Amino acid sequence: MSTAAGSTLTQEQTEFATESSEQARPDRPYCVVVWNDPVNLMSYVSWVFRSHFGHSKRRAHELMMQVHEQGRAVVSEGDREQAERDVTAMHRYGLQSTLEES
Amino acid sequence: MATAFRAASSGYRADLQKHERRLLSSLCGDVTELLTRRGREASRDSGDGTEDSGRPSRGSGGEADALFAHFSAELAGLDSEEPLPLPSDPVVRRLLPDASEDPEEADQLRRLTESSLRESQLADLRGARMMLETSPVTIPESGAAAFGRALNTVRLTLATRLEIDSDEAAAQVHRRAGTGRVGDSEQFMAEIYTFITWLQESLFEAMLEYVPEHGTEEEGSDT
Repeated sequence: MSTAAGSTLTQEQTEFATESSEQARPDRPYCVVVWNDPVNLMSYVSWVFRSHFGHSKRRAHELMMQVHEQGRAVVSEGDREQAERDVTAMHRYGLQSTLEES
Repeated sequence: MATAFRAASSGYRADLQKHERRLLSSLCGDVTELLTRRGREASRDSGDGTEDSGRPSRGSGGEADALFAHFSAELAGLDSEEPLPLPSDPVVRRLLPDASEDPEEADQLRRLTESSLRESQLADLRGARMMLETSPVTIPESGAAAFGRALNTVRLTLATRLEIDSDEAAAQVHRRAGTGRVGDSEQFMAEIYTFITWLQESLFEAMLEYVPEHGTEEEGSDT
């Protein structure tokens, strides 16, 4: 995306701003959650998981079914910057997604 | 009658009637308008004072202005503590959702990431409109994801307007579209929604065939 350079700034700002209130550390792992919704197609969601995260066909299908049946699934884990990028990518694909601390 | 997307020599193609292409394109245009309006609202409310900096590029050309507005919005997000207002239109709220369940963190993430998300959605919609100019609609492999995202954005927009908030509501919309009677504008929206669903499903079914299978199950993205 166009903000590859900007996201470093974004990251610093994010850590700086949350430091006082939540003692967030840059190395703390985050996970990216995708939530169920009644609109996105199952084939579409599987495709997004495969193409964006490089999951195998089986793994993508499992995650998609988990979202569908349990209402949510953790689709990736990583540092804060990676999690922000993944959540934004999921939003770009129109999936409901949030990040949270692991 | 339209035919769904199928794999072609170097991408995908669908035969759509002229009025179908026009309709899809104008829906892309409607969403573009909503997102552009949101962009103006967001940069105004984030206290973006770049308006009086006397930039010569102002008013001179679309691309440069859009780029400038994009960066100034990003910068405004970086040094402002003011949260962006939540989008008032439910469609815009659906397209630019919260990135955290924690409201404070959601505000912060919105300030930092909303404008780049919006710009990328606008780029997808722009590209889709160009591909809808020709018949048959031919999508190169490299542009398929962007086209699919744009179709999905339009679907989400219609779904929000149709108030599809449960599986039951979704089924109802499909039933309504299937009656074949000419009805009110909501009936028409349901028909379009069902049409786009069908089109999108066909595109991604075809695309799924071509996603390379990576490594083994749990190893993810090692190279």
